[in-house]
Amino acid sequence: MKLKEIIEKLSLVILTNVEDKEVSGVFISDMLSDVMSSAEMGNIWLTVQTHKNVVSAANLIDIAAVIVTNGKEVPEGTIELANRFHVIILSSPLSSFQLAGKLVEVGLE
Amino acid sequence: MKEELCSHNWEMINVQQGYIVTENCFRCRKTNTYFSVGEWPPLEEYREGEHFWNIMEVAQSIRFNLKCKVCGEVVQFSELAGLMMCTGCDEKCKVDSLMKELEKSRTWVYVAFGFFPVDERKQLSPEKITILEEYFNQRRKSSISRIKIVSSDMIDDIAVCFAEMIRDVGMLSLSPPENE
Repeated sequence: MKLKEIIEKLSLVILTNVEDKEVSGVFISDMLSDVMSSAEMGNIWLTVQTHKNVVSAANLIDIAAVIVTNGKEVPEGTIELANRFHVIILSSPLSSFQLAGKLVEVGLE
Repeated sequence: MKEELCSHNWEMINVQQGYIVTENCFRCRKTNTYFSVGEWPPLEEYREGEHFWNIMEVAQSIRFNLKCKVCGEVVQFSELAGLMMCTGCDEKCKVDSLMKELEKSRTWVYVAFGFFPVDERKQLSPEKITILEEYFNQRRKSSISRIKIVSSDMIDDIAVCFAEMIRDVGMLSLSPPENE
């Protein structure tokens, strides 16, 4: 499934530049060390973390997009860094649990 | 011989959750870092010989080994304290220059750190850094971008480096929940 299709279907808020990508699955964690050990390239990463290091962890694995849940505000510095390193950050007012359900509904696991 | 012929395909094994502890001796001002695997991180100061160690920071992190799925070779990474993505903060720094050069081809530069004090601890060898780089690039095999991992030796002045290691800081509370 393509990222832009998911953004449209789930009405996700776009916070950075977006390139369309193939999404391979979903990874949920608020720990960067989990991403480093267990996330897969092309995953969408659901988290409430918003600090700059999210960009470093996402970039290391080549995450398809980071979705910041619970409507948490993302600092401008994080967005600037993400744009520079081509990391896509999206946002949703839903919780990670609620959003995971919606992602399953659209066909992702 | 088998190893020389193998085009390794690495996987992460023996992933161990723990804490990277940074402590400072108030007598000699030395900074010490180590990986702690206890259920709870150390939080109190203690004396060790002539040193009086005070905990400066505790961050959750992982320790792991890499194993080749083809030949079975295992490489231990107990010397790795963490990885840091270079964001370009010091034009005089060699890592900054490398990052700016490789950025055009979407190759992102990460710095591998060992534990402090650097002169007292075994540091990651260039061979291990190459293996680590191979591993992370294998995990992002079909990506249009690549990563390059370099040793922290390349950083001229760590004091002016703005980037942070990938680890979980601020995930711990000193106060237990009230109902426990």
